[in-house]
Amino acid sequence: MSKVKAHPNIQLLIPVVALLSLLLSSCSLGETPAETSQSAASGSEIASSAAGSLDEIREKGTLTIGVFRDLAPFGSVGSDGEYQGYDVYFGDQLGEDLGVKVDYVGLDAQGRVPALTGDKVDLVLANFAITEERAQQVDFSLPYMKASQALISPEDALITDVSQLEGKTLIVTRGTSQQTWFTKNYPQIEQAVYQTQSDAYAALKDGRGDALAQSNLDELAWARQNPGFRVGIEGIGEPTLVAAAVKKGNTTLLDWVNEEITTNLPDNFFHDAYAATLEDVYGEDANPDEIVVERGTID
Amino acid sequence: MNWDLLATYTPMYADALWVVVQLGFWGVFGSLILGALVALVRHWKVPVVDRIAGGYIEVARNTPSMVQLYFLYFGLPLIGVKASGFACAIAGLTFLGGAYMAEAIRSGLEAVREGQYRAAASLGLSQTQTMRLVVLPQALAVALPAITANVIFLIKETSIVSIIAVVDLMALTQNLIGMFYTSNEAYLMLVISYLVLLLPVSIGLRALERRFRRGIA
Repeated sequence: MSKVKAHPNIQLLIPVVALLSLLLSSCSLGETPAETSQSAASGSEIASSAAGSLDEIREKGTLTIGVFRDLAPFGSVGSDGEYQGYDVYFGDQLGEDLGVKVDYVGLDAQGRVPALTGDKVDLVLANFAITEERAQQVDFSLPYMKASQALISPEDALITDVSQLEGKTLIVTRGTSQQTWFTKNYPQIEQAVYQTQSDAYAALKDGRGDALAQSNLDELAWARQNPGFRVGIEGIGEPTLVAAAVKKGNTTLLDWVNEEITTNLPDNFFHDAYAATLEDVYGEDANPDEIVVERGTID
Repeated sequence: MNWDLLATYTPMYADALWVVVQLGFWGVFGSLILGALVALVRHWKVPVVDRIAGGYIEVARNTPSMVQLYFLYFGLPLIGVKASGFACAIAGLTFLGGAYMAEAIRSGLEAVREGQYRAAASLGLSQTQTMRLVVLPQALAVALPAITANVIFLIKETSIVSIIAVVDLMALTQNLIGMFYTSNEAYLMLVISYLVLLLPVSIGLRALERRFRRGIA
């Protein structure tokens, strides 16, 4: 009897499954506009009217930029509730040159691509490394920073070579280029995957993994504030180039950003950005000439 | 839709489904035991413990389950208590589910009228016999729909464990999308996997409810 009753439900299932998974894939996980004064002001407007061409942005008077919410010193919310960092310094300048207001939207690593494909932001400036997989989803500008993949681990059990991670646990943040790179190149290393950068670092502190994979710059900044941890190895794999990204096909905005980088920004703009946001953090530990990329050219 | 990819993903989803099955089983198991204990304490109005149980129910039901998990996973190590993500997930589900189960079971216990106790006493049944033969069967029949709803709720609630690095169906889906941007395939597998798990559970529980009600009547 119970079988007879279940039948019509089961027949309905197939279209329902199809619909549900379609709906799911058209929306996106992991993007969380931060509720700070800056983005709250535009609220629902973000969802409907972002991701425009250059003309639309000018008309609207607002450039919506996705930045990291918890990745100091590149993009984070400061104690005053305002976004700050290297990426934000660049974003502010872009808004000024375009003559529009900038609206920052806080993202986590995983939310960067969906924020663009889902029209939540016009531009992403969030320590966004150019990778093959991402380049199929969004369009990257010329690079404005370079970094490398690195491993940070406790000083008393320092990992100085990737091979030492065999049989151990590597901490990564979901949606970072490090997660993809280690999954592709070292599938045998077990990963503990966290949703946000702050969770990943908290897990490292709690000893939930033997090392954490991130960009060397980010790790260096964190290590300076967390004695007992050190970047044991840098330069894993190819160097990573960090660039701005726009929705695929948004050529007017992409061309304009590239023109800013190649010609319109003041000379040594990114050295200035470094001095304003990164110098205090790195001090003697880093050489700006190895980090910033001026005019989109890598030597 | 890339069909080859679905074939590649299937074993990964099978693994993640197994994690969800384990979490769901232990979570439900733990919740039932904790819930029964708390319900009895409240029903009998055991002094002091009753107040504690009441406080527990309020805390468990009025704080987000995500916050509870964060507390167990990131908070407790601060005072030296560190458990694996999997253990924290089961503890979290038990903590959350125990409160809901307690209320469901208590509603069943309270539905058994005073006259039933007196009738049992007049038949010369001992207190244990009264509980086992008269009260519990009736209480369960009343509580069962709420309990089964909680079971389904708890299994679905496992989907938040990705925040503490447990690779369940949701975490796997987010990982695949985060790395390879294959949203269509990953979401389809996600929906199918949950249905494969929850439909039989749901149909089985409904059958159980029917049988129980017949047995009583």
